[in-house]
Amino acid sequence: MQDLNTRITLNVNQMPVTEVLKKINQTAKIDFAYGSDVLTDSKKVSLNVKEEKISVVLQMILEPLNMAYSFSDDLILIEAVKSKSKTMTKVITSANKQSQVRGTVTDNKGMPLPGVSVKLKGGTAGASTSADGKYAISIPDGNGTLVFTFMGYVAQEIALSGRTTLDVSMKEQSQDLSEVVVTALGIKREKKSLAYAVTEVGGDQFTQARENNVANALTGKVAGVNASGLSTGPGGSSRIVIRGNGSLSGSGGNQPLYVINGMPMDNGTPGGSATSNGSAGNVDRGDGIGGINPDDIESISVLKGGTAAALYGARAANGVILITTKKGRMQKGVGIDFNSTLNVDEAIVSPDWQYEYGQGTIGLKPATAGEGLASGRRSFGAKIDGSSYIAADGLSHPYSAVKDNVKNFYQTGTTFTNTLAFNGGTEALTYRFSGSDLNSKSILPNSTYNRKTASLSLNGKLGSKVSFEAMAQYNVENAHNRPTAGDALGNPNWLPLLAANTTDVRWFEPGSDAKGNEIPWNDAGIASNGYFVVNKFKQQDTKNRFIGQAGVTYQIVKNLSAKASVSRDFYNYNYEYILPTGAVYVPNGQYNALKADNSETNGMVTLNYSGKVSEDFTLTALAGGNQQRSVYNLQNTTGSNFTIPYFYSSTNLSTISTIPTNNHTGINSVFGSADIGFRSYAFLTVTGRQDWFSTLSPEHNSLFYPSIGGSFVLSDAFKLPKAVSFAKLRASWAQVGGGAPDPYQINLAYSMLPSSGQPLQNVSNTTISNANLQPYTSTTTEAGIEARFLNSRIGFDITVYNRKTTDDIVSTAISGTSGYNAVILNVGELDNKGIEALFTGTPVKTKNFNWNVSYNVAYNKNTVQKLSEGLNSIQMSASVNSYAYINNIVGQSYGSIVGTRVQKDASGNTVFNATTGLPVATGLEVLGKGVAPLTMGLTNDFRYKDFTLSILVDGKFGNKIFSLMDVYATRLGLTKRTLPGRDGGLTVTGVTQTGAPYSRFIPVSGLQSYYDNDKAYTELFVYNGGFVKLRQVILSYQIPVSKLKVLQSASVSLVARNLLTLYKETDNFDPEQSFSNGTSQGFESIGLPRTRTIGLNLMVKF
Amino acid sequence: MKRHFSKITLAVLSCLALQSCTKGFQEMNTNPNASPVVNPQFTFTKAELDGAANALVLLQGTMQYTTSFNDVAGFGAKYVLSQSNQTYAAFTNGYPKEVNEIVSVINAVKDDPSQINLLATSRIWKAYIFSRLTDLYGDIPYTQAGKGYTEAVYKPVYDSQQSIYADILKELDEAATSLNAAQPTFAAADLIYGGNVTQWKKFAYSLMLRTAMRMTKVDVAGAESWAKKAIAGGVILDNADIAKVSGYVSAGQDINKNPLAFNMLNSDYVVSASSVPGFSNPEGGKFQDVFINSLKANKDPRLGVLSVVYVNGKADTSMAIQKGMSATLGAKPADFITYSEPNQATILQLNSPYLLLTNAETNFLLAEAALRGWYTGASVSVMYENGIRASMQQWALFGTAGTITANQIDTYIKYHKLNTGASTAGQMQQIYNEFWVGVYPNSQEVFATYRRTGYPALVPNNYVGNATGGQIFRRMLYPLIEQNLNPENYKAAVARQGADELMTRIWWDKQ
Repeated sequence: MQDLNTRITLNVNQMPVTEVLKKINQTAKIDFAYGSDVLTDSKKVSLNVKEEKISVVLQMILEPLNMAYSFSDDLILIEAVKSKSKTMTKVITSANKQSQVRGTVTDNKGMPLPGVSVKLKGGTAGASTSADGKYAISIPDGNGTLVFTFMGYVAQEIALSGRTTLDVSMKEQSQDLSEVVVTALGIKREKKSLAYAVTEVGGDQFTQARENNVANALTGKVAGVNASGLSTGPGGSSRIVIRGNGSLSGSGGNQPLYVINGMPMDNGTPGGSATSNGSAGNVDRGDGIGGINPDDIESISVLKGGTAAALYGARAANGVILITTKKGRMQKGVGIDFNSTLNVDEAIVSPDWQYEYGQGTIGLKPATAGEGLASGRRSFGAKIDGSSYIAADGLSHPYSAVKDNVKNFYQTGTTFTNTLAFNGGTEALTYRFSGSDLNSKSILPNSTYNRKTASLSLNGKLGSKVSFEAMAQYNVENAHNRPTAGDALGNPNWLPLLAANTTDVRWFEPGSDAKGNEIPWNDAGIASNGYFVVNKFKQQDTKNRFIGQAGVTYQIVKNLSAKASVSRDFYNYNYEYILPTGAVYVPNGQYNALKADNSETNGMVTLNYSGKVSEDFTLTALAGGNQQRSVYNLQNTTGSNFTIPYFYSSTNLSTISTIPTNNHTGINSVFGSADIGFRSYAFLTVTGRQDWFSTLSPEHNSLFYPSIGGSFVLSDAFKLPKAVSFAKLRASWAQVGGGAPDPYQINLAYSMLPSSGQPLQNVSNTTISNANLQPYTSTTTEAGIEARFLNSRIGFDITVYNRKTTDDIVSTAISGTSGYNAVILNVGELDNKGIEALFTGTPVKTKNFNWNVSYNVAYNKNTVQKLSEGLNSIQMSASVNSYAYINNIVGQSYGSIVGTRVQKDASGNTVFNATTGLPVATGLEVLGKGVAPLTMGLTNDFRYKDFTLSILVDGKFGNKIFSLMDVYATRLGLTKRTLPGRDGGLTVTGVTQTGAPYSRFIPVSGLQSYYDNDKAYTELFVYNGGFVKLRQVILSYQIPVSKLKVLQSASVSLVARNLLTLYKETDNFDPEQSFSNGTSQGFESIGLPRTRTIGLNLMVKF
Repeated sequence: MKRHFSKITLAVLSCLALQSCTKGFQEMNTNPNASPVVNPQFTFTKAELDGAANALVLLQGTMQYTTSFNDVAGFGAKYVLSQSNQTYAAFTNGYPKEVNEIVSVINAVKDDPSQINLLATSRIWKAYIFSRLTDLYGDIPYTQAGKGYTEAVYKPVYDSQQSIYADILKELDEAATSLNAAQPTFAAADLIYGGNVTQWKKFAYSLMLRTAMRMTKVDVAGAESWAKKAIAGGVILDNADIAKVSGYVSAGQDINKNPLAFNMLNSDYVVSASSVPGFSNPEGGKFQDVFINSLKANKDPRLGVLSVVYVNGKADTSMAIQKGMSATLGAKPADFITYSEPNQATILQLNSPYLLLTNAETNFLLAEAALRGWYTGASVSVMYENGIRASMQQWALFGTAGTITANQIDTYIKYHKLNTGASTAGQMQQIYNEFWVGVYPNSQEVFATYRRTGYPALVPNNYVGNATGGQIFRRMLYPLIEQNLNPENYKAAVARQGADELMTRIWWDKQ
């Protein structure tokens, strides 16, 4: 809040100093404290400054009056300079020898620092630095010690020792006292006054070791934020869940609301997220946050709790991520920032299969082309011996293990990002314009992604009372051949991951014959040849997106202003997917096109008051209203059979149908908040918001959300031992909630269907609509303690919370015999209880070497308390062939992995079905949590002179993951679990269902069928999903450019992401192998392998 | 921009006065792509298409017409345990589609006396839909089915099959008598008879005959009285009256294509520029040896109508070359291309009609009725021969390639006379062996008569890992999800009927 770098313009003539300070207070919201005996109205000043830093202005005012300011709490204390200096004055005047010392003062980034006070220790001589950081001071005898002081920086005392030039680099003070964070609606507040947990991450965290999708870069950085990038290549989505999944209906996927500069943006995925059992075209089409250019981000604030987010009402139920974009700075000339990054990606996991028995069936290696093809993905053959065999391509090859098909198939991916930004401006108008181009080549051949972003930010003043801000961003995203995950058809990953273990996948290049028809690699036509997929399938999507914002602030009277803003986030999306003629499984091809346009429009007006109510109390209050409208129009065209083979146009389909979706929703809101501060150590925040939802029926369509919170700074209120630098307690309670996520759910309706004959109609939706739906409520209670010790060298910040969702709107599955598959009810109840902690420390702090450590950890316990009457479980998702499910089950955590186990009797014997000779599968049981409850991150930052090294290690624990790839690899004889019995047969023993001893001999020829049946026991393929990863390493060098006049700064960094996996329990795949940002997490589904990124980043400022 | 701001300010201020916070919301929340009221015609057409399409194609394998070397596609012929959930499909699909639709139509027309024919045909169609479902599963939700929206019944009770049968018979009787030629009909929206009231009446009584004969094992007296009532009412006795869904197209929306042909074509037999006919079959489907051997042994002229072998990419219908594939195979045989598969020119025609209840079927049923002495209109052998004749003639509905000459038919009949000297069981066997070939591809109807009469005496496949101990199914499984969503009623049904297993016998299938 007390930012003395704020620039003000002041023109006063013989005005009492007290009035001048009031003026500064009004314009810059800076509070001053002074004794009435110190500053009286008799002291007058004349001043004419334009856009000068307050620190400088203060110097100019106070210096002549022989007064100085200091910083105490969040007040500026103005005091007379101690009388001691007066006595010294005499000494100085008696001295005659004068010499001049000159120099430049810079900040720790090498930027000139204006307004720094330079004084001779023990003397009266004083000066302050100019706008370019230069100073000159006259010293009586050329000796002594100079004291450099500047608000927010550590004061420095340097002995002159005869020097006449002294350049100084000022170190920033630890941010305890003045840290300001952006909170709801873009309001900046001093962190210590907050009653809830907010974490701010600076923009530089996103620009060096880049993720294409900026949200992925939050992984491991913020306690309580479970961020996971998807393994879907460049242009993929992110999934972020803050403090656990809060709603059963998965409104917005339980992901937070994204807000740019105070206005909400859209984070939807056009056409919806990828599903866990889809095939051809089941791709991740990218989300909204993925379109934001990291270079445009000043900072990201994560509002985790209800109180933090309550002002956003319904949509804040899952927390809010606030993005503040960079603004222009007033300066002479044009500032130019250039950032260039080249990243190189490679697949990190190669499956560890068995390499003892090779391709084939019944223990024999294939001897004919027919046998070779039939067993192309089966490794139930003979012992691998280096002899020759006929493979699936019909040719003779050595019968030897091929272990690196991942390397053989995938390529090295690259991403080249360049951003150029200009900024500058005058007093009346500052601007920033940036243009960025991101060009990615996936590790999957022929899969590319390009994103071009242009962004313009303007801030200006129209006279003394009106100011405005405007931002516009335009994106074009082009993606080509995004990878399909899930079922085999059109999934390029099946070949490299599941080919028989003596097969080199390159034998199947380029995947098609001369006519363009798919060359099969096995007997199951549905398992596409990966080369055919990457070379012949065609998939193209383009998103044109525009985000525009404008706001006007009018200063009505002192302390009271009004602001009006509008924002619109609009995109237009075209997607075309062509399954070509000649595919083995669908020989005549398929077609799918999505055309979507989507917009979210917000209009908001607020009335803001900020001022001192009395000597002890300050009040910041706000009242306003918001109108939100969303439009989502989608045309989904599907077709099949290209009439003329190999000609891919929607005009060439024998069957085509188009289904339109036109969703319109709106929320109207009024809201207000008040922050009361007492003596700058006790703070109370109260907010209220009323939302009206268009998606609910008029009788039940509104909800009021209150919140209240307080914080108490112990270290300011009481005199604590010296070791305690800072201590604060905080607590808050808030309610948020929401309406039905989708429109048209309150009345039954009938839709016409595309027909080539008589008109057809049926019920629009097999979910029964419910006119009595009410908004659901989510109540958060949280409390926290924050403290720092030993001059803030170590500190902690701990939060406990309880977030309970009631009356959750649940699409409740009902017996299909009712004629419907689901009914929407207000029945759900679930809670998230958790603890988050942040520990920070500075083990080493010297002039040249600094070491900072930060460790965050969060545990979230999620429990589904209630579904509906008599209903204990809701199925959210099923794997391919329903080998496993993700269910919500009463008493379990959200998103449990559910499946069967091998039945055992009381003494642990396997129970066999004597008729089939196979182990009996149990009914469906809970096999684990799909979402990790325990997450943590450890950052170590080292700085040695101009080098910095930043290392982030993060981990997630306590979740399970079901691997579809392992199911197939077992059925196909690739996993090591299929080895027993290969040498002469397998004897299995156990008991029958009646308890009698059971034993059975399975000959080698029967093993394939025996192991194939393992798919019936889900538990065999459920792994511990925990991991520890060396997530990010940045080695950066600040190039010393101060001598080069043209450059302000330059740095070069060597960066790496996902460098090493330090711990995991999944041998054959990466535990973060997620392919969808939907609500169902916990499946590996034969997606693109995850990658390690190594890159080089260059940053130059002119 | 300024105007925009003042607009918002106004909106917010007036909202503060709590008068217009929800202005326009109702309109906003109305789906522009849907209608709030049901159109009985359009929904009835959909119910006909869905009801016809909801068949378990896997039963073609069970009745040993087709098979595949692939466990998944070959489930019907191999009964592999891990694929048992394929048997849920008809249950899962039926209720939210055709049941929901026909219940909606009935609700829309039932109170209007002028819509009596719409109501009657809907009741007959509903009887058809439920008879198909109950014959597969046994006890199923019936009286409370499809009432999720109208009566908030989310957990319908399972009615006993006995009571469902009683109600279906009552419904058919009432609906047939209520049909009135003077009143409007569904007309073109009715894809079965185009609103022809007389034909609907025949369909109703034929369904009644089918339903009645189903009860011979469990309630022979009831079977007799209902069969007699049906015969008296007038059943289908002419190929012109066959109950079939017409109007399918060879190109256009998938829902408008013959569902059986569409299903089979798409899984295995689709023609394309890239596929090798007879070899590429993605799901490994072929005709099964049992069926082909039987047709060959009997020199059945239907063999060349139904079956082809691809030789150098050309479909060959000659009898000598036809060969069925064994259901015991677990991998693609090297000579895969040499096996018989369905004829693209007849059974796989997308625009061919879908037969629901044929003249051949009623004739065979009447042959049995005559054998039992319940029918005196003609002798057993006449009805038996009429059945064969009707069956052979009906393939002409599938295009010129389906035409079987009168001479061929007479020759066949000449060599396959009913042995009237045989025992009742022997005559039954002969009738229902002909029924097996004669009502193909209606495998569900054959599955029902197989369970009821034991004919044809199919030899089950004892495939490794099968779910039935090497026996042919007696019923299909309830969807697993019913245990979750409707547990009390599910348990009551299982308690009444027996374990929810493939070998549990349903009410009319008592030993």
